Amino acid sequence: MEQVPILKIGQTLFVSIQIDLQDESVLRLQEDLAEELAATSARGVIIDITAVEIVDSFIGRMLAMIGQISRLFDAETVIVGMRPAVAITLTELGLSLSGVRTALNAEKGLAILNGRA
Amino acid sequence: MLDELSRNRARSGFTPSETALSVFSLKEAVYELVTEAADLVPEYLAFSLMIDDLGLRTIETYSAAREQIISDQAASMLELSTPVVRLWDGIIAVPIVGTLDSARTQLVMEKLLETLVATGADHAVIDITGVPTVDTEVAQHLLKTVSAARLLGAECTISGIRPQVAQTIVSLGIEFGDIATKATLADALALALRQAGLKVVQS
Repeated sequence: MEQVPILKIGQTLFVSIQIDLQDESVLRLQEDLAEELAATSARGVIIDITAVEIVDSFIGRMLAMIGQISRLFDAETVIVGMRPAVAITLTELGLSLSGVRTALNAEKGLAILNGRA
Repeated sequence: MLDELSRNRARSGFTPSETALSVFSLKEAVYELVTEAADLVPEYLAFSLMIDDLGLRTIETYSAAREQIISDQAASMLELSTPVVRLWDGIIAVPIVGTLDSARTQLVMEKLLETLVATGADHAVIDITGVPTVDTEVAQHLLKTVSAARLLGAECTISGIRPQVAQTIVSLGIEFGDIATKATLADALALALRQAGLKVVQS
C-alpha cells in the first residue's frame, strides 16, 4: 500500500496525491491527516489532485469526509488542481463535495486559506 | 467504380433517380441489338436483372454518401456552436445559441472546464440568450455544468434569461439554488468583476 506524504507549511498541511488512489491509501490518508491535524493544530489543508486522473464514488466521498473531519479541527480544506474529466465524473456521480472549498491551482488555494486567516 | 460515380454525383447535387436512370439506359442500348436476334432473349433477361442490381446499388451508395455528408456537417456545427470567449482577465463566457441537448451540453461542459484550467480563470458566465426554450432536462444540464465548474474552483453565473424562459423555469418548479442568475451578459460581467475585486470607472 502506498502512503501519501503530508507536509506542514506554516499553518497549512499540504497533501499532494501523486499516485493512483486505492481505497486503502485514501483511508490511510484520512487517518494520517486526522492525527496530523490533532498534533499540529493547523488551520488549513490543501489537497492537490492534479495528478489524479480517475476517481470513483468512494474516493469522492472520502474527499468530502476529509473536509468534514478537518472542520472538526477548525481547519478549512481546499481541493486544488482537479482535472475537467474528474470534475465531470464527480458531477455525474452526484457528488458536489459540499463543505470543501475548491481552487484551480495550489496558489489560489493558498490565497483562499490566507484570506480566511 | 460505380460506387465512386454515385458518390461524385451525390456531391455534385444529382438526384439518385438521375444516376440510376443513366445506368438503366444501358438496357435500352442492348435491347435494340436483341430485337434482331430472338434467341438472345434469356441472356437479355439475365443482363437486365444485373443492370437492375447495379441501379439499386447506385441508390444505396447515394444515400450512404448523403448520410456521411449530413453527419460531417452536424459534427462541424457542433464544433462551431460552442465558442468559449475571454471577457476579462480570469473571466470567460460561453454564449450558447440554439437548443441544448445532452451531446451538446457535454461538449459545452468539457470545453468550458478545459478553458477554465488552461486560462486559470475563476469566473465563468454561461449566456443562454440564444436558447429558445429551457425545460427540466436543459436546466439539469446547466446545473451539472455549474457544479462541475465549482469543483474546479470556479464560480459560474447564468445570464441572458428571457422573460418567457423565466416564466417556464418558475412554472416547471426548477430550482437554481445558490447559482447566480442575471438578466444580461453585462450584468453578469459586472458581478464577476465585482467578485474579482475590480471596479470600472469612467476616465
